[in-house]
Amino acid sequence: MRILEITWEYPPHIVGGLGRHVYNLSVHLASKGAEVTVLSFTDGTSKKQERAEGVEIVRVNPYVLRYPDFVSWIEGLNMLMVERAADLGSFDLIHVHDWLTAYSGIALKHMWRRPLVATIHATEIGRRKVLTNDSERHIHEMEWWLAFEAWRVICCSKYMMKEVHTSLGCPADKISVIHNGYDPKMAKAKNAVPGKKKGKTVLFVGRLVYEKGPHLLVEAASLLREEEGLRVIIVGDGAMRPYLEGLARKLNLGDKVSFLGHVDDETLLSIYEEASVLVIPSLYEPFGIVVLEAMSLGIPVIVSNTGGLDEIVTDGKDGIKFRSGSAEDLAKAITRVLHDEGLRARLVANAKSRANEFSWSNTAEQTLELYKRVLDEYNANDWKPKAGIR
Amino acid sequence: MKPVMHISWEYPPWVVGGLSQELKSLLPEIARKVRTILVVRGDRDEVAEIDGMRLFKFASSVRTSPHILAYIHALNIDLLRGASAAIHEEGDVPLVHTHDWVSSITGVYLKSCFRVPLVTSVYTTELTRSKVLGSLLNMGIFDIERHCFSKSDLLIVKSGGMRDHLAENYGVSRDKIVFASSAEGIIDAYRGLRE
Repeated sequence: MRILEITWEYPPHIVGGLGRHVYNLSVHLASKGAEVTVLSFTDGTSKKQERAEGVEIVRVNPYVLRYPDFVSWIEGLNMLMVERAADLGSFDLIHVHDWLTAYSGIALKHMWRRPLVATIHATEIGRRKVLTNDSERHIHEMEWWLAFEAWRVICCSKYMMKEVHTSLGCPADKISVIHNGYDPKMAKAKNAVPGKKKGKTVLFVGRLVYEKGPHLLVEAASLLREEEGLRVIIVGDGAMRPYLEGLARKLNLGDKVSFLGHVDDETLLSIYEEASVLVIPSLYEPFGIVVLEAMSLGIPVIVSNTGGLDEIVTDGKDGIKFRSGSAEDLAKAITRVLHDEGLRARLVANAKSRANEFSWSNTAEQTLELYKRVLDEYNANDWKPKAGIR
Repeated sequence: MKPVMHISWEYPPWVVGGLSQELKSLLPEIARKVRTILVVRGDRDEVAEIDGMRLFKFASSVRTSPHILAYIHALNIDLLRGASAAIHEEGDVPLVHTHDWVSSITGVYLKSCFRVPLVTSVYTTELTRSKVLGSLLNMGIFDIERHCFSKSDLLIVKSGGMRDHLAENYGVSRDKIVFASSAEGIIDAYRGLRE
């Protein structure tokens, strides 16, 4: 089975969870016998074509053209991807990820007359809540178009399935839920983690954008200012960082809250070792891979009761949930976990077995099954190419 | 004789500006001499006959865009839906002829995928419309024009001035710019490519 995965991010160019998802999916699909070609982006610092971990990686550099904004940048990248795809031979199936590569996926589907599978990791309306300008509305319409054109749509959680069904009008029976996995390399390296923890270190890992709710943790830290020895570490970068740093200063939390920016995996591991608890206060979270990583490492987790987080964590059993958007509830949850040793031990024990239910191997296995089902339907269908493709 | 596929974002009654009237007087004349397929943006997806041509009319899937460049990229995927439907209905790939940058992205896609000869008629350019590239939007459109012109096998212009303009400002080789304004002249220009 020859699969073309089209993605705007793939190592070494990683923006968020989408790139990690496509990387792990591609490598595990290849290990299960699929011939996988990834068509992705380069800024000129990575190879235009290489083979790594059984996956053929082809990269396109969009900076040969100029663009007024992000939407047209994405469209230009997709245009060049379509041109590049023509030289890559034939594929049984095209798989694109989010609106960011919808343009090329839809174009190739119609020229090649091959089935298109789309994973919708997140939606514009989910991220923004309200579509306030034409760029956001364009992205929303592209998401609708992608869901319409796709043979099957994959979502990473039941929450996302409902969102894609409700917001994009995609029939529910066209959507398959396939959970994300997490990287076991992180878990293996952290078997010794629980014993090393000292003090009261509360950790946040994620992009510093509104939807991830990092401001809620800073506000919660302010409510916990009397908590002796409390330290909040915020790992990640994003547009909200200057605001968050200002908020921490305004609340006189300079000695309690540290912003470390983006860190590499090795550094992240050492930070995990010091963490007493990981907090994911997202206002919007389609899945939440970082929670699984922390659970597998034996770090108690506190998550907001929204999105994929709500599906992964069972409150009081393998993690603690708080009311999404409430810094007060988050502060109470942090206090509870920091002061109840028995609770921490119980959460850690249960969380490890819960995390074991998720793996990229399972994700790839289920995706491969979905590909086979799509190809069976395609082969039984009259919609086929009737003209010669290059 | 293989057919020719014209791709445009407008043709009466689906009118945006002057290009539709230009094509209304030209394409039926070409269709009298060469089997002609017309792919155009319309109000809904439909295959029909119009003015002696096989018509593949496809609607815009995306109605909101932040600016014309974003809209044209999305529109060209709809035009590509129509062109692909035409190609797979024909069972063969015709010569492709696009009109201005607004439909030439589709031509580049078809040339890449089907190795089809590509002709682009150039009536105006971003430079003739805007005089200067004063914004990133102007520059973005200019770059798409330059990209599509470079991928075209033949550019058809209606004046010597436009030929000089394309050569001097877009770096197009004068060898692939043909001066033609009548149906006969354009069909003559096709001949070398079709062989």
